[in-house]
Amino acid sequence: MSDKKILSRDKRRYLLPSERELGAETHSYLPELCDQLRTKKITRRDFLRQAALLGMTAGVAYATADKLIGGALVPSVQAATPKPGGTLRVSMRIQQVTDPASFDWTEKSNVARFLVEHLTRTKADNVTVPYLAEKWEATDDLKNWVFHLRKDVTWSNGDKFTSADVAHTVNRWLDPKTGSSNLGLFGAMVETVKGPDGKPMKRGIANAVEVIDDHTIKFNLKQAALAMPENFYNYPTAIVHRGFGKDYEADLSKNPIGTGPMKLEAFAVGERAILKKAREWWAGPFHLDEIHYFDHGEDTNAWIAALASQQVDMVFRLPNNLIDAAEALPFVDLHPVTTAQTAVMRFRISEAPFDNLKLRQAVVACMDHQEILDKAFQGRGQIAENHHVCPIHPEYAALPPLTRDIEKAKALLAEAGHGDGITLEIANGDTEGPWMTDACAIFKNQAAPAGITININKMPANQYWEVWDKAPWGYTAWTHRPLGTMVLGLAYRKGVPWNEVAYDNPAFDAALDDAEATLDVNERRKKMEVCQKLLQDDAIIPQPFWRSVYKAANKRVKGHKTHPTLYHQFHNVWLDG
Amino acid sequence: MVQLIIRRIGMMILIMLVVALLLFLINEGDPRLIARSILGPYAQDQQLDAWVIENGYDRSVIVRYFEWLGRIFAGDLGESVIYKRPVSEIFWDRLGNTGILAGVTFVIMVAIALVLGVLAGMKEGSLQDRAISVFSIVTTSIPEYASAVFLVGVFVFWLGWLPGTSSMTSGFDPLQMILPVLVLTLYGFGYIARMTRASMAEVMTTPYIRTAVLKGLPYRHIILKHALRNALIAPFTVIMLQINWLLSGVVVTEFAFGYKGFGALLLEAALRRDIFVIEACGTAAVFVAVLTQTIGDLGYTYLNPRIRFK
Repeated sequence: MSDKKILSRDKRRYLLPSERELGAETHSYLPELCDQLRTKKITRRDFLRQAALLGMTAGVAYATADKLIGGALVPSVQAATPKPGGTLRVSMRIQQVTDPASFDWTEKSNVARFLVEHLTRTKADNVTVPYLAEKWEATDDLKNWVFHLRKDVTWSNGDKFTSADVAHTVNRWLDPKTGSSNLGLFGAMVETVKGPDGKPMKRGIANAVEVIDDHTIKFNLKQAALAMPENFYNYPTAIVHRGFGKDYEADLSKNPIGTGPMKLEAFAVGERAILKKAREWWAGPFHLDEIHYFDHGEDTNAWIAALASQQVDMVFRLPNNLIDAAEALPFVDLHPVTTAQTAVMRFRISEAPFDNLKLRQAVVACMDHQEILDKAFQGRGQIAENHHVCPIHPEYAALPPLTRDIEKAKALLAEAGHGDGITLEIANGDTEGPWMTDACAIFKNQAAPAGITININKMPANQYWEVWDKAPWGYTAWTHRPLGTMVLGLAYRKGVPWNEVAYDNPAFDAALDDAEATLDVNERRKKMEVCQKLLQDDAIIPQPFWRSVYKAANKRVKGHKTHPTLYHQFHNVWLDG
Repeated sequence: MVQLIIRRIGMMILIMLVVALLLFLINEGDPRLIARSILGPYAQDQQLDAWVIENGYDRSVIVRYFEWLGRIFAGDLGESVIYKRPVSEIFWDRLGNTGILAGVTFVIMVAIALVLGVLAGMKEGSLQDRAISVFSIVTTSIPEYASAVFLVGVFVFWLGWLPGTSSMTSGFDPLQMILPVLVLTLYGFGYIARMTRASMAEVMTTPYIRTAVLKGLPYRHIILKHALRNALIAPFTVIMLQINWLLSGVVVTEFAFGYKGFGALLLEAALRRDIFVIEACGTAAVFVAVLTQTIGDLGYTYLNPRIRFK
């Protein structure tokens, strides 16, 4: 796609003033988006998300939304004036913080988040806004994205932040030697070639990253990608200095050069990470002087005990079984957030016996989603529908409700050739907590009347992550992602690294490609309906529920909002007393 | 006696070599697994193969075993996959922390167990004996994870007197030692107390004690000067076993209180397949077990003339 498709200043003279006012300079689709909000075809949040996605700055997007639908004319009065200073103490696992590109746990990125930063930022309300990039533009076919970088950002070593840093970072992701999961995330910039040993190998496509000038960078994709701005806030996508892994060792804990407000004062894996405010921050005042992360081990009881004895002010997350205990503490506030976090009892359909569609459908027909949600997770969430698109995703399409049908399950089982019943084994690592075993146990009971005996193979969490994409049947937790297309692209497109199901359905891939190339959220919803239906019909992921996520913090912590992916955003956090 | 010591030490070395071989085979038998644990879950096949060749893991397992033994004797325990530091740095630090916890617990636990055991055993069948026996059986029967949750519930959530974790993140804090020491003491003292009680009760029925009583010696004198010395021979082995348990068997307590000790290190290494830490900790745990058993055997032999002169 040529540069002509990018809406540039040259095109301004062809725009009507009314279109310009509605953001047509930024993207040709914005006036239509405004019209959809005005006529209430989309919600305010959908508008904000989409407008930001298309490059409208956050301030303008929020102001436009208020203007179009008559939002609050008077800005809401802040409850209290933030007090600068103080040390926020958080209980969280401290893992090695070496190369941000190879982060595989949110906890690693949380320590790094105050040192190295991202091009974009997805806020707690699920809307992605500019960050190190002050704006961006996409061609109408969503195959070329131009990001304009802020000019007022410097690295902690004094260097100016430029396109060279972004190009170096993204090229590292696309280099198979780095071993980054971003190869899967940015699939539109990746090709599969034959490696030196003849085995298939993934690597970045030629000219994927193009530096236009010191503060402008362009990404050339082989196919449309809707979620580029969202992807740039995924936890392994922090932008590192242009010398990282080239002029010096790719280890952030040893070479903590960043654009963030803090410096890494002390760091010991398994013990603590001490971050200290080091400089004026380009993004404005950062209220906290220090952030101390303490590692209290794997036992979640210890986390809440640390909060109860005020050894810490906040816990990284609050397990479901400890919510009542935290709620009983008079000096603690709960911070819940509705999310698209879930776990899927996915079948690996390349492995027997799960290569048998009728068998899969029989197992799925046994599931009573509501019962599992109520008993395993105390109803703190919403039921899912076996297609991994959540009602909070903008493009979610409502399908007819699913019901448990044992007679149907028996008939399908007989058709599958297992009329006398079958014994199956599900691997589970309780990677997100003991509720996962409870969910498996409840489903085991639900499936028994149909003649399906389920054995639960319980294993340590880390052991599960070694077999999560190999086990014939496993219960895998998936984190929240702001768009439904993102998770489907990561997990169910043919050949992507995280396709743990081994799903290979050209009709699905085509429908997903189509959805990913569609800006209009209502149109995209229609296309997603096809994807959702295909996933349901192919019965590859019995998915009991979406779970709400809870955090607990001392009442002295002010201005905190839990992020759906538990990313630590402490821009507005301050301590009262 | 010298022959016995030499034989015991020889046996100890043999056991250590066999255990070391098993540990090595389990952890380093499959070179690709090592490469995977070091390079991470997203490393591609080509990277794994290249790592195996570059680091000499394509050579025979026997050659690698003897090389590994040589490195262990030279004090090189490898580098931790999780911590990205030499294992020896973390290992001694964590062993020291557990040593502090174990030492404090050992002193308190043995003192309480011996006093209660003697008090129970000197009047077998009395109310005092029954009360102590029931108490020690009950506390020993409650697993550490249960008593940890219960004590945290009382002293942290309800009364708010004590810190809920013992990670010592801001330096050593004696207050943070109280709960883990209490949990370990409650769990461990009952066994020694019961053994001491049984031994004491047996000694109290022997003719020489009866003679001393009939001679009109003061009761306290009989207990302290005559009964106690003999009554402590049997619990000696049990006490030695407790050292082994306190150094490598306190995983649950360390885990429950976030205490940065040897047990927690071993558990995390096992959960995250940090092979060089598993090897170091496994070898050390077996060494402590074998060493305390050997000392226990030798000590028991020394204390008990009937065995010594056999």
